[in-house]
Amino acid sequence: MSLLRAAASGERPMAGWLEGESMYADRQLVIRHTIPTNGLSFAGTIDVMNADQVAAALLSQLGEGQPLHLELSRVEFSDVSGIRAFVLAAERADDRSRIVLHGLPALLQRVMIVVGWGDLPSLEICSCGTE
Amino acid sequence: MEPHVAFRHEALLYRGMADFLNHAVPFIRDGLEVGEPVLVITSAAQLQALRAELGSDAGAVEFADMAEVGSNPAWIIPRWQAFVDRESKNGRRLRGIGEPIYPERNADELSECQWHESLLNLAIDRATPLWLLCPYDASALDPGVVEEARRSHPLVTEGDHRRESDAFRGLGGSIVPFGVPLPSPPAIHQTFAFAAPDLAMVRRMVADHAAQAGLNEERKDNLVAAAHEVATNSIRHGGGGGVLRLWRDARSIICEFSDGGHIDDPMVGRQRPHMGSAGGRGLWLANQMCDLVQIRALPHGSVVRLHQNF
Repeated sequence: MSLLRAAASGERPMAGWLEGESMYADRQLVIRHTIPTNGLSFAGTIDVMNADQVAAALLSQLGEGQPLHLELSRVEFSDVSGIRAFVLAAERADDRSRIVLHGLPALLQRVMIVVGWGDLPSLEICSCGTE
Repeated sequence: MEPHVAFRHEALLYRGMADFLNHAVPFIRDGLEVGEPVLVITSAAQLQALRAELGSDAGAVEFADMAEVGSNPAWIIPRWQAFVDRESKNGRRLRGIGEPIYPERNADELSECQWHESLLNLAIDRATPLWLLCPYDASALDPGVVEEARRSHPLVTEGDHRRESDAFRGLGGSIVPFGVPLPSPPAIHQTFAFAAPDLAMVRRMVADHAAQAGLNEERKDNLVAAAHEVATNSIRHGGGGGVLRLWRDARSIICEFSDGGHIDDPMVGRQRPHMGSAGGRGLWLANQMCDLVQIRALPHGSVVRLHQNF
């Protein structure tokens, strides 16, 4: 099995991202390793049902001295606990190992700001949006 | 009147703009004279009239339009708390004018404004030296609204007379409106009993209901996000699930969640979440994402109604 493959059409990650092996899967979410290295792509829903597992997955991938890039354009929905998983991981990161969110859906950005997570030092929102 | 060394919550029953200004302008000037920070939240028309009367003194006053700051009445207490947190240093006294109720408020907004007024007695620490004047235009409002102001305020001023309100419910009684059931809806579009596996369906039903009413994408998504959080609360704290009811009225769509849980904290949804805390964000989010959120703690359980105007 090739470690590098493009997702099936209709389920593509953002341009420039290639997906590798799944590192977490449940009934509502799949997380895959991606190229560029030290990246993860998310497809599906993150909520109270799997937020803890998502947090654990993120913590396990925090690089030493390099940012962790997350491809989020196919997150159908995330609730506050799902977003909090990213925040918890960012709290463990520092500037060099910061988390960068790519393709963050507009709703999630609004929620982050409203709940007070819009300005965290180690959680960067890349302006490469889906729209 | 002697300086306020504790929270002073006073209703001002006025009749027309001139009467309002006769009370509000000296109240503001007296505060400025002794260096007390002043925040005034009222209608745009009244703000304009106050600025004209105060002249150069207006520069020392913080003004805010109630139609913005209190469009959702649940935003008002956080605004006062931010004012207190920012301005009260070394026990410095503060003054405020807050007029949440104006004739254009619809019945549900009015109900939430009245609960907000009662809740103020519990929300502001008794030791906070804030003198909060709450104007009510008795010449324009329903007598029932004025009567409720007497029940929710320890002090009432009318004309030249300031006195303790005989009708005040008291500090303990201030929670009473939290337990009063909401009015029955006219006609229900849909009812759905949900548990943990049904969150996606809850979101879908709310999204469809919003789309049918013509809400734009952003407002629809905001409502869905709020609905998910409230449904999650029912699942986690309300006994594993709840009942969703969807309907609409003349101006908004309503999503109601009821469950068997008990809401302990009447301030839920009105306190900006802190970094460390794990809970309480869902209802805060709902209040930011929806035009109106009604929360009631009833004997048999809790009810949350989300309103999104179309």
